[in-house]
Amino acid sequence: MTSSQTANPTDPAGSANASQTRPETLEGLHAGDLRIDSQLDTTVTPPALRLLWTGRSSDRHPASVLDPYFVKAVAAAVARSAAIELHFEKLDHFNSSTITSVIQMIQDALERKVRITIFYDHQLKWQKLSFDVLRVFAKGDDVFQIKAV
Amino acid sequence: MRNFNFLIDLPVRSEWANVELLRISILNCFTVIFADLQGCHTFAMIAGELLENAIKYGQWDKAEPLLRLRVWGEPHHVSIEVENPIGDGSQPAVQELTRTLEWLDGFSDRESAYRARLLDIAASPREQGRKSRLGLARIAYEGNCNVSAQIMGDTVRVTAMMEL
Repeated sequence: MTSSQTANPTDPAGSANASQTRPETLEGLHAGDLRIDSQLDTTVTPPALRLLWTGRSSDRHPASVLDPYFVKAVAAAVARSAAIELHFEKLDHFNSSTITSVIQMIQDALERKVRITIFYDHQLKWQKLSFDVLRVFAKGDDVFQIKAV
Repeated sequence: MRNFNFLIDLPVRSEWANVELLRISILNCFTVIFADLQGCHTFAMIAGELLENAIKYGQWDKAEPLLRLRVWGEPHHVSIEVENPIGDGSQPAVQELTRTLEWLDGFSDRESAYRARLLDIAASPREQGRKSRLGLARIAYEGNCNVSAQIMGDTVRVTAMMEL
C-alpha cells in the first residue's frame, strides 16, 4: 500500500465553526482507494477527533499504513484530551485485514483511556454486520460505543 | 427468483489487484441477477476474502499456477469457490485452513465464532506481518454460509455456500 498524507480541505464557507473544527491537528490519509480525512471538533466536550473513512480498503497489507496512522491518531487524541470518532458511513468496503487494524486501534485507544465511538450507516447491511459485532469490546460504559446513523 | 441457474468460471492471474477487480465484477454480476443489492455486497465480500486467502497462501512458484474462481447459483443456494495450487511451502497454510474450519464447526453459531476471533485479535500482540485469520470467520458470519475445503493433490478448493 502506497500512501500519502493529505491536508484536509478547509471549510469553504468560512463559518465560525470552521475555526473550531481544525483539520491541521492530524493529517488525513490517502492510500490506494482509501481516504481518511481528519477533523478536530472543539465545539463539543470533550473535543472530538473525527476520522472520516471513504472509498475502499482492500490492500494486501493495510496494517503497514493504517497502524502507524492510528498510533498518531491515538496520540493526538491523548494530547488534546479528545475522544476519537471513527466514521465509516461513507466507506464502500474493507477487507478483514483492515478490520484487524481497526481492532488494534480500538484496543490502543481503550488502554490509553481515550473514548472511541464508531459510526456506521444502519441502512447498509454489510456495515451493520461488520460494526455491530464490535460491541464485543464494549465494557458497559461509554468509553467505547457504536452508533448506527 | 426461482429459475436463475448460472455459472461463472474464471481462470485468474494471481495478482493482488485482481481481487478488487473481481470483487467489483461479482458485485455487478449479482446486482443484475438479484433485487437485493445488500446481499450482493455480501457475495462480493466473500469472493474477495476467498481470493485474498488464495493469493496469500497459495504456492505460486509452479510452471502454470492456476487460480480459479467459480460462482454458481441454483434455485435455493449460491456457491462461491476459489481454487489455488499448494505445495510443500504452503503446507502450514493448508493445515491452518483445516484447523480454522474445524474450529468454526466447534461453535453453535457463526456469530459466536466471529466474536471469539475478534477477541483473539484484540488479545494478540501487535506485530509486523501478523495473520488475522479473520477472513473465513467473517465469510461464515457475514455471509451466513457454510465454508468447506477440499484438498486434491496439489490444489486446494475452498467453497462458501449460502442458502437463499
